Amino acid sequence: MEFLFIPPALIFILSYFKISRTLMAFIASTIFFGVIYTITHPFVNEYFFVDKLSGFILSVSSIVAVAVFVSMIDLPKRINLKEKSIKRFYRFFAVFWIGIIISILSNNIGLYWVGLEFATLSTVYMIKVKVSKEANIEAWRYLIVGAIAISLILFGIILIYASSKGALGEEAMNFYAFIHNTKKINDYLFELGFLFVIIGMFIKMGFFPMNLWLADIERASIYQVGALFSGILESAIILGFFRFSEIEKNINYSHLIGIGYTYILITLFFVSFLIYRAKDFVRLFSLSGIEHMGLIALFWISGGYFAALLHFAAHAFMKPALFISSQILEQNKKYIFKGTLKNINKFAAFMIAAMFLGIISLPPSPMFFSEIYGFKAMIDVAKDSNYFFLMIGGIIILLLLLSIIFYRFVHIYQDMLYTGTEKEKKIYKSEIVAILILFISTALLLLPQSFEFIEGIMK
Amino acid sequence: MINVLIGFFTATLITSLFTNRLFRLYLWYGINSLILGLIGIVMGKIYNLTELVIMGIVTIVVKFLIIPLVLKKITFRFKISRDITPIIKIQYLTILVPVVLVFTYYLITPVLKTFSTHPNFVAISISSLFLSLLLIMEHKRMIAKIVGFLFMENALFLLGIVSTNGMPMLIELGIFFDLMMFILIINLLFKYQGE
Repeated sequence: MEFLFIPPALIFILSYFKISRTLMAFIASTIFFGVIYTITHPFVNEYFFVDKLSGFILSVSSIVAVAVFVSMIDLPKRINLKEKSIKRFYRFFAVFWIGIIISILSNNIGLYWVGLEFATLSTVYMIKVKVSKEANIEAWRYLIVGAIAISLILFGIILIYASSKGALGEEAMNFYAFIHNTKKINDYLFELGFLFVIIGMFIKMGFFPMNLWLADIERASIYQVGALFSGILESAIILGFFRFSEIEKNINYSHLIGIGYTYILITLFFVSFLIYRAKDFVRLFSLSGIEHMGLIALFWISGGYFAALLHFAAHAFMKPALFISSQILEQNKKYIFKGTLKNINKFAAFMIAAMFLGIISLPPSPMFFSEIYGFKAMIDVAKDSNYFFLMIGGIIILLLLLSIIFYRFVHIYQDMLYTGTEKEKKIYKSEIVAILILFISTALLLLPQSFEFIEGIMK
Repeated sequence: MINVLIGFFTATLITSLFTNRLFRLYLWYGINSLILGLIGIVMGKIYNLTELVIMGIVTIVVKFLIIPLVLKKITFRFKISRDITPIIKIQYLTILVPVVLVFTYYLITPVLKTFSTHPNFVAISISSLFLSLLLIMEHKRMIAKIVGFLFMENALFLLGIVSTNGMPMLIELGIFFDLMMFILIINLLFKYQGE
């Protein structure tokens, strides 16, 4: 497992010297040696825990991280950044990466939080790397809101620890021990803690009432920050949600369903209309990220593990690819959709279009399959519940909201392809390679072997 | 003894809600942290937990001595205005504070018998969290919001002490390290503000 920390540590050290961005991308790619070794040697100890779920999320986030490093090779050609700022960006990216790895593999809920806090704080400077007044304001905003969210998570974690310390002793901080001893836990205190934890997590993922804060931040910073948020940071958060909600499921499933469904439906209601009014790619993708995180959470709590994990992986690959594509699409003007797909490299245009339509679950996107299985799981839950009509009503409203988003994306796609004037656009090799990595990863999800593997994760 | 200290802990937090000068806010934060450190030391002595005593001492050194000084230095260095008049009027605050306190007592009622310490302590630490959130919301200036966040950290630490007799040492150290990184990031943000 220690191998996993070598590439980020090396990047951190090298960021103090004259840097070669290609070398940095190469060093980042060596993470796969560590990933392969770790996932083929699962273990549990007091602080770390490698199972199929964490191995899967670690692999997905590592692929995204490498793609982001590759996309940064030609970044100075796109945005005017000082060498010093780029160095600092790499430094904080390395700290962010270490935090995420700790979070994903932690068995200890406290350590999970420490990793998440590391990742949150290091992102602050990554937002600030772009020299503009907006970036400065958003960095401050991220620091405060992110810190509040993370504090709420810690507050919940302390209450959860208190709920089980009497029964589990020093093991009261271990996810593994928790999942196997849910009957010994103080229910009320755990649920109180769980409520704080999910509110903190939902704030961090941009759920209601914080729908716009992530979109504004991603708009103000460089495109790679949006890619990191949607592909890596949210992976670590959603993993925490998976683990905590599994415990809550054994304690009081009806509470989990009630809170989860209500909160996510309200979020999706606001997000669908915000997407309808979105005027630029970054906000559009950011808001769509909130929608997908909501769907993943819904599928998971409904027991559709396969659907949730497939949707998670597809989103983690496609969304960063779209954020990286935004720097190609928006190179002439930011607040315009018309004609953005015209006059660019045909291969790149194909990949961008495929991702753009894939994110709204148009077949053969992996999201198409995940949504089918996910909605099936939701209907199964409704059938077993005492509130059948209420839940079916909720599912119908959800489908209506998704159709608004679908309509908007298709409309924008038509604008991108068929309207507007043809302007000269530049596209760099590193951008194509980064998008290609994510495109191939998404396509690989469609293999029967991938389906089998994902299905086996929670068995 | 702990009753008195926790009373003062809440009192300093409530007072800071009504403060409209920045250095006075730092002062209340420092005193709040000092009391928190003392609570840790006293509880460590009562329950014979050396870890808690050490964390209490570290809290006093870092949060009572170092952080207020660093914040003061940042204020001078970046010429930050010291007027931090809250946007919520005092008459509303005087209503909100008791409401928060009563609400948290209500929230904790079902688990009154769970804790080895007095359940009031847990209620106070949860109410401190809400009061710190109120402190963050009532100020427009970023530096006051930051102090609000630091108060929130204190509330978390208090909850850790009174509800679980202290979190494991490694996690506490991790939290301290994060706090130091938080201060470092603030410094960086101010430093490169105009770049």
